[in-house]
Amino acid sequence: MSQAAQSIRPAVVIGGNRIPFARSNGAYSHASNQDMLTAALDGLVARFGLQGQRIGAVSGGAVLKHSKDFNLMRESVLGTSLSADTPAYDVQMACATGMEAIGSLANKIKLGQLESGIGGGVDTTSDAPIAVSEGLRQVLLELSRARSTSAKLKALSKFRPRDLAPNAPGTGEPRTGMSMGDHQSITTKAWNITRVAQDELALASHKNLAAAYERNFFDDLITPFAGVTKDTNLRGDSTLEKLASLKPAFGKNLGAEATMTAGNSTPLTDGASVVLLGSEDFARQHELPMLANFVDFEAAAVDFVHGAEGLLMAPAYAVARILERNNLTLQDFDFYEIHEAFAGTVLSTLAAWEDADFCKNKLGLDAPLGAIDRTKLNVNGSSLAAGHPFAATGGRLVATLAKMLHEKGSGRGLISVCAAGGQGIVAILEAR
Amino acid sequence: MSELSTLILPAAPSLGSLYATAAAGKLRGLLPGSKPAARTVPQVEHRLESLPINRQKLVDYQRLMGDTVRDELPSVFVHGIVFPLAMSVLVRDDFPLPLLGMVHLSNAVTHLAPIAPSAVLTAVAHAENLRGHRAGTQVDLLVEVSAGTELVWRSVSTYLARGVFLGERPSEEARPHQEFTHPTRTASWRLGAATGREYAAVLGDYNPIHLSAPSAKVLGMKSAIAHGMYLAGRALAGAAPHGTGYAWEISFATPVFLPSTVDIAITSALDKTEFSGWGSRSGKPHFSGTVTPLA
Repeated sequence: MSQAAQSIRPAVVIGGNRIPFARSNGAYSHASNQDMLTAALDGLVARFGLQGQRIGAVSGGAVLKHSKDFNLMRESVLGTSLSADTPAYDVQMACATGMEAIGSLANKIKLGQLESGIGGGVDTTSDAPIAVSEGLRQVLLELSRARSTSAKLKALSKFRPRDLAPNAPGTGEPRTGMSMGDHQSITTKAWNITRVAQDELALASHKNLAAAYERNFFDDLITPFAGVTKDTNLRGDSTLEKLASLKPAFGKNLGAEATMTAGNSTPLTDGASVVLLGSEDFARQHELPMLANFVDFEAAAVDFVHGAEGLLMAPAYAVARILERNNLTLQDFDFYEIHEAFAGTVLSTLAAWEDADFCKNKLGLDAPLGAIDRTKLNVNGSSLAAGHPFAATGGRLVATLAKMLHEKGSGRGLISVCAAGGQGIVAILEAR
Repeated sequence: MSELSTLILPAAPSLGSLYATAAAGKLRGLLPGSKPAARTVPQVEHRLESLPINRQKLVDYQRLMGDTVRDELPSVFVHGIVFPLAMSVLVRDDFPLPLLGMVHLSNAVTHLAPIAPSAVLTAVAHAENLRGHRAGTQVDLLVEVSAGTELVWRSVSTYLARGVFLGERPSEEARPHQEFTHPTRTASWRLGAATGREYAAVLGDYNPIHLSAPSAKVLGMKSAIAHGMYLAGRALAGAAPHGTGYAWEISFATPVFLPSTVDIAITSALDKTEFSGWGSRSGKPHFSGTVTPLA
């Protein structure tokens, strides 16, 4: 066995940076994915003095991507003051993109293949790619293949005026034609999650995020962008009454039983986030902080297409597996960062872990994973308040949790992120 | 079936001319002195050698259904290829029921083995089991497709000629009113006004009741309705296995008027997959069926 393959060493979270998240078609309407990601990287480089350095790898991606952004990460790196010989590559796993990028970098660091890495993601629904219709696309492709004039004319003759309607990306699942919110509304109802419980979770998210800003928690986690200094979705003065007044936005076919509103669902958001990881040696050599160890991560997927499980329930399964592998219980954590795609997602997941039937029949466990201490959940706010630029959420969570663990000085935290396609990634971090 | 005589068709008949024949038949039936309808189905099977398989149409079909383009003929695509042959039985002069206005009640298909697009297929079709229905007369149309000597696909389509009574009217049984409670939806289909035309452009079934509201109204429909086999094809795109044979059946409850949104449930049970569709707004059941892989 060669020297490099002999042992696994810790991968350390050194720090993170993001730009404030902005509601779609607002402050960042004219910023591209590359612009925002470059801004997040620039902030990280400035914070940790990485100018001119070669980083082992920069990994990340975007969920909604223009075809011109085939090399989004590399192109972004070339726009920063990182050394131009820093390799970069794109990753895509829907809303778990950031987590997959960061987790895989951590693995490479653990194996000694990398000394340092930057993982993250970016998304914009304002500067979204708009494709030509399938009909027009087929005509244009055939036209480009055509050699003779008659073949070209034949291709053109297939054009129909209705083909002029463009195709904008949606949040619908390709195989079901249902929006993510409509999918979640089924799960929310199946777990009997009430409107009030969802509104309370949303309110807590706003209050916690506002309090975190208040105590300058984000000062070394965020750099302003395009004149924005704070997540624009944050409503620190929101109240249960205001949230209760909103009309249902998803699962409207449930009629009076519909509980999911724009208030307890994440809005479409623009933004970018990145996390700097390294070996202990790298951190020490460059006199960088070591906030937390990136201990482990686990992906899961469920069959929502055939109704076997709810679209966003995969993390419930991933957590069961990662706990077993690490010989931990669900209660062995000081912080829980459960991505708030919808308040109903978080509450359904918590309910599932407490449910004996689910834990026995779906997770194959002898006893339920049990309840968590809710005062440890999303203590500095989460996606309902901050917003959720799909691929950027993983970086926000890892940086936030690592800092919280470091502040506390001990303990561990659990991250859970659901994703389109019935997928999800969970991770464990330990304080340093 | 030894008593059936065989008529070998020289080529696949065009559906357009079949519908024209059917329309003419309908007109003839309205004339005074038209011959009384026969009370049996013709004792003949229609046979077609070398079914035309167009690879571009296959791709168009797979795209239309949201299926993956692969070198296997989807079951409903096979149905589309043999449909003109089946229709040629229904428009025979001695066929006792009028084709136009006939309603597709159900379909049961055994797709015995995967069929490659390069397969040389032979199909044979005949009608049988003419019988009463409280709303008219129903009949089964059997189609068998073989690759060489191996039977690979077999279908029984049940049609209803509404208001046509060939013998005693069956006693008006009081149908117990069944409240339809739909299962939890797993998908939602937004079907545009052009759905019928898009299906027709791929599989050639230009039945006017599917094409547009005006053409459907001529035939007594309040609007164009989706092809039953389009609905079956969409369901199978999500539910049918690949690389193995499978049996599937579908029953149609109420027509899907276009445009509309159909809510769908596709659920895997132990040995089969069940699917159903209902109106997103109306809540009315449109169709239901099952897919069972053949071990």
